[in-house]
Amino acid sequence: MFISYRWLSRHVDLAGVSARDLARDLTLQTAEVEGVEPFAPALADVVVGHVLSREKHPDADKLGICKVDLGPLNDGGEPFQIVCGAPNVGPGQLVAVARIGARLPVAGGEPGETFKIKKSKIRGVESCGMICSERELGLGDEHDGIWVLPQSPEGNNDLIGLPVADALGSIDGHYDWIIEIDNKSLTHRPDLWGHRGIAGEIAAIRGIQLKPIATELPACGDAAGTSVKVESKGCSRYVGIAIDGLENGKSPEWMRHLLLATGQRPIDLFVDISNFVMLDMAQPNHLFDRGALAADGIVVRDAKDGETIQTLDGEERKLTPADILITSGGEGVALAGIMGGEGSKVQEGTTSLLLELATFDAATVRRTSARLGLRSDSSARFEKSLDPTLPMKAAAHMLSLLAELQPNMTLPSAPSEDGDWNDPAMEVDLRPARARAVLGLDETQLSDERIEAMLTSLGFKVVVVGDHLAVSVPSARSTKDIGIEEDLIEEVGRVFRYDRIPERRLIAELAPVARDERRYLVRRIADRLAGSAEFHEAMSYSFLPESLVENLGIADAPCVRVKNPAAEGLERIRRTVAPSLLGFVRGNLRRVAGDGGALRLFEIGKGYLPELPHDDAAEPKEIHEVALLLARPGVASGDPADFASSSIFRLKAVVADLLVHLERAARDLDGKSGLDWSVPTEGMGLEPYCHPGKTMVACASGSDTALALVSELEPGVAAALGLTGDEACDVAFATVSIDALVEAPKEALVHRALPRFPGVKVDVALALDEATPAGDVERALVQSGKGLVKDLELFDLYTGPNVGDGKKSLAWHVLLQSDTKTLGEKDMNKFLKRVEGAAGRLGGELRSE
Amino acid sequence: MESTLSPELAEHLTSAKARIEVATSLDDLRAIERDFTDKGGVIAGLLAAIPTLPPAERRDAGQGANKLKGAVLELLEAARGGLAQAGIDAAREGRGFDPTLPGTEAPRGSLHPVTLVTRELEDIFSSMGYQILDGPEVELDTYNFERLNIPADHPARDMHDTFWCEVSGAERDSDVGILLRTHTSCVQVRAMEKLQPPFRVVAPGRVFRQETLDASHEHTFHQMEGLVVGEGLTVGHLIGTMKTFLREVFRREIEVRLRPGYFPFVEPGFELDARCPFCETEGAGCSVCKQSGWVELCPCGMVHPRVLTLSGIDPEKYTGFAFGLGLSRLVMLRYQIDDIRHLMGGDARFLSQF
Repeated sequence: MFISYRWLSRHVDLAGVSARDLARDLTLQTAEVEGVEPFAPALADVVVGHVLSREKHPDADKLGICKVDLGPLNDGGEPFQIVCGAPNVGPGQLVAVARIGARLPVAGGEPGETFKIKKSKIRGVESCGMICSERELGLGDEHDGIWVLPQSPEGNNDLIGLPVADALGSIDGHYDWIIEIDNKSLTHRPDLWGHRGIAGEIAAIRGIQLKPIATELPACGDAAGTSVKVESKGCSRYVGIAIDGLENGKSPEWMRHLLLATGQRPIDLFVDISNFVMLDMAQPNHLFDRGALAADGIVVRDAKDGETIQTLDGEERKLTPADILITSGGEGVALAGIMGGEGSKVQEGTTSLLLELATFDAATVRRTSARLGLRSDSSARFEKSLDPTLPMKAAAHMLSLLAELQPNMTLPSAPSEDGDWNDPAMEVDLRPARARAVLGLDETQLSDERIEAMLTSLGFKVVVVGDHLAVSVPSARSTKDIGIEEDLIEEVGRVFRYDRIPERRLIAELAPVARDERRYLVRRIADRLAGSAEFHEAMSYSFLPESLVENLGIADAPCVRVKNPAAEGLERIRRTVAPSLLGFVRGNLRRVAGDGGALRLFEIGKGYLPELPHDDAAEPKEIHEVALLLARPGVASGDPADFASSSIFRLKAVVADLLVHLERAARDLDGKSGLDWSVPTEGMGLEPYCHPGKTMVACASGSDTALALVSELEPGVAAALGLTGDEACDVAFATVSIDALVEAPKEALVHRALPRFPGVKVDVALALDEATPAGDVERALVQSGKGLVKDLELFDLYTGPNVGDGKKSLAWHVLLQSDTKTLGEKDMNKFLKRVEGAAGRLGGELRSE
Repeated sequence: MESTLSPELAEHLTSAKARIEVATSLDDLRAIERDFTDKGGVIAGLLAAIPTLPPAERRDAGQGANKLKGAVLELLEAARGGLAQAGIDAAREGRGFDPTLPGTEAPRGSLHPVTLVTRELEDIFSSMGYQILDGPEVELDTYNFERLNIPADHPARDMHDTFWCEVSGAERDSDVGILLRTHTSCVQVRAMEKLQPPFRVVAPGRVFRQETLDASHEHTFHQMEGLVVGEGLTVGHLIGTMKTFLREVFRREIEVRLRPGYFPFVEPGFELDARCPFCETEGAGCSVCKQSGWVELCPCGMVHPRVLTLSGIDPEKYTGFAFGLGLSRLVMLRYQIDDIRHLMGGDARFLSQF
């Protein structure tokens, strides 16, 4: 909301107080000020000129050559010659002159954008500056002619040569200042949505008095008033006041400038006075053309289902019974609290008006305005819960002002009114001791008397009753903001000024904080992956773009959807984290240096599976997982023998290491069974982007719960993602369920004694059926060692003519080592003998090299 | 020694000496040693000839051969030492060393900057006895609004630009309002549900606002909520806590100020400003604080008694304060990131910098 300094000074004497002082006061004690800017800064740059003469331009009918006296600024005593095209310029006028070098706002330009006036020749005649119109100075749209300034009241020429801002009575060098207040910080203060309310705050902060305004209506005639009837529960008060004798036209300059300063475009007196009073008193109001109203006057009722009204912005609005409609003769004439109707718009030449001042239910106005997407200055105020005593106060102010401007105005009848409003003024008790206890102040810092004085300055009435204060809260503050003791403590605190409260150390007896296993795991996962695994941690949106969803083939999965997405196609909330990372592959190609351009990303995040039951069943099931992505440019070799160089087996190693590091899997070969890797079972429901033949899951020993899944990207999905041709990538991804990790039994990481005796290395090659899992063979090798196998390394996988169709050869480096002796050839041979037997049991044979 | 050798042996020694002098490697020395000491070598030949000598000469000849062997081995040992030293000397020369040649690439991984800053804050708060909590990102209306004293139709809901959600493809009770949490303040309610006062908690996490993306606006960003509930807590404690926290973050004293701010779940409510850590003065032309000398750091306040009551905590017995730190903003300040979209953008060139 924009607040004009000049406007505020109508309500409170601001002598010696700058706009920046006000901004600081308000920020520290009332509401956040977002900015302070001079209004129409060009007025400080242009000067008052006295037009001495105007002669016709010899070569252009419409142009005049003016001699303009700038008083002390005249060039060696000579008046300035300025060529001017305005029809209304004439001798004797005081005008605003932009001299050479002055800066004026660019019409239609960015705020603050200016251009410089230069000496020029217009049709051969030299022109030393420009006589300005109001629009050229940033004072609205008026561009019919130049701006003729008011003569000085004494009729002397003291103003000539002064900056225009000074001639109009400047404030710190400018005509006016605009203080922008953050609307959000006024959400709870309906009383501050007008200049008078803000002025009241300043008066309380600075300990000064508000200037009085009219509180009584001008005299009313005794004609029968317009009938006003309230049938809607959403309207607690409706006041209609008939006005005669008004003549519409341009509103006075001061009013137009104040409206402009606060961001309102002046239109005509009727529109302007309505806006002015709203911005002054925070009470929205509406002027109807009384001639356009039906005989039954005004009926305020709930709209009928499907009923429509054309609002002043020209839009046809479809209503429901949840909306309040102002009607006349059964027809809607205004959408209550939001906008007037096009039909009852004041016609040209109308002198007979009905002024509406009402109090509508905040929630009803808010709902209607939200549903219709129709926000107005009026709805913004009503939805904050306006004071029902305000309508008559605003009426008195508005009609007194109108009477001043148009002495012919008359009020033919007393105000008509209906509604079952109650004065919300109430009494709230405040214990000064409680105020001090909450604020952290003692009696020497904040005495009972000081509290009383503070509340009084804010317009509360205070009576001491025993150990507490009985505080009468005026209606302007009690509709929304103040209802309990804490609300009053806030008032005391902000007048005291929060920034003056001394800091205190927090000392308390606290139970030690229990370790959160999941949080602990998350940290260790991130450290391991970003550390020795050399992955980069990414964060991605919880939303999955529909294009990605299509490409991954997961469009049919149940999901949480956003009803009002940030952009079309961003409705879907992810079920798991991996898809987000897959969405990062294409964009990151050729961005990564080192390791052949391999992209290594991980993300620890959440996903939502709404079909799963949740503990409380209310919120969708949330899952926590870590997703890993390894994408290496180039076409992956399809040969199983090249497994070691494929992304998926590299990623498998990372995941296996991670699970050991997290103590959720035993370290290989330490005597216990480690992770159990297998192809996923039917029941696991493979995601469509997982390679149907190249996916593996790891379960903790003796458990069916999958801790991790490692997969290659399904080739069709890879193609859909554009990862073909030059962009081909060997993409593998993995997911590790943090939820499963939390539940999984712990495999304590224990130290293995360092070898005391040398070991023997033996290479073992086995010819086997192609289908025999290498893991089975490794297990057999370990068993054959009877505790002596300390390390295994698969160094060759071969299929081809040397082993025959449907066969493969697997070769390991095996380290045999004993804790009690140095092993010899005998031990090695015993081992090989047992391996030979085991190979037979696996349907293969030991190859002798 | 030579003087005691026979002319024949002296000749052997001379020749050995000559060969050792020109030897340039350990292998050369080894060859010389073999020629003398191996089977069929010079020494062996000399010893083998002894039985053919007159008995009176045999003793001298035997001693002479051994002396020769000793002398040759001694020469070889010295030569070996010399060669080793020469090698060390050569190695010490450091020829062609150029300290400006590039180091070979150090492969590395990285943590996300949000993680880095979150951890820093978590560690600070942990050291002050705070428990770290997590809460769901797809939240219920009741936690995000209702129990934070923001009932339906409250205009404060407008500030939140809420993403409202529904569920597709699964059966659900459609009356339950679900949304993407607009702040981490929901965790306040979850904390009060779970914990008995006194307690101190912080809850970092991602939050969502229906915003159009640009360099300074994101629909997904990070916050950290703080909540302290206990007996006798005051505004002074809140100020003291925030100053302590800032001192830890910026590693020096930072001036702060409280000013009024409106949030329905606190009363009184504040905005906490910190002296701009970059310019520390008003009007210095600093873009971070927009010349004000203050940066808005976090909304905070004393927990509204109704919020306590709604969670079954007696506001007469307990008071509390809450604060909400803008994590994404702190991250951007800390690493001078000028475009918030980088944080969630997944660009490896960005991520690998941390």
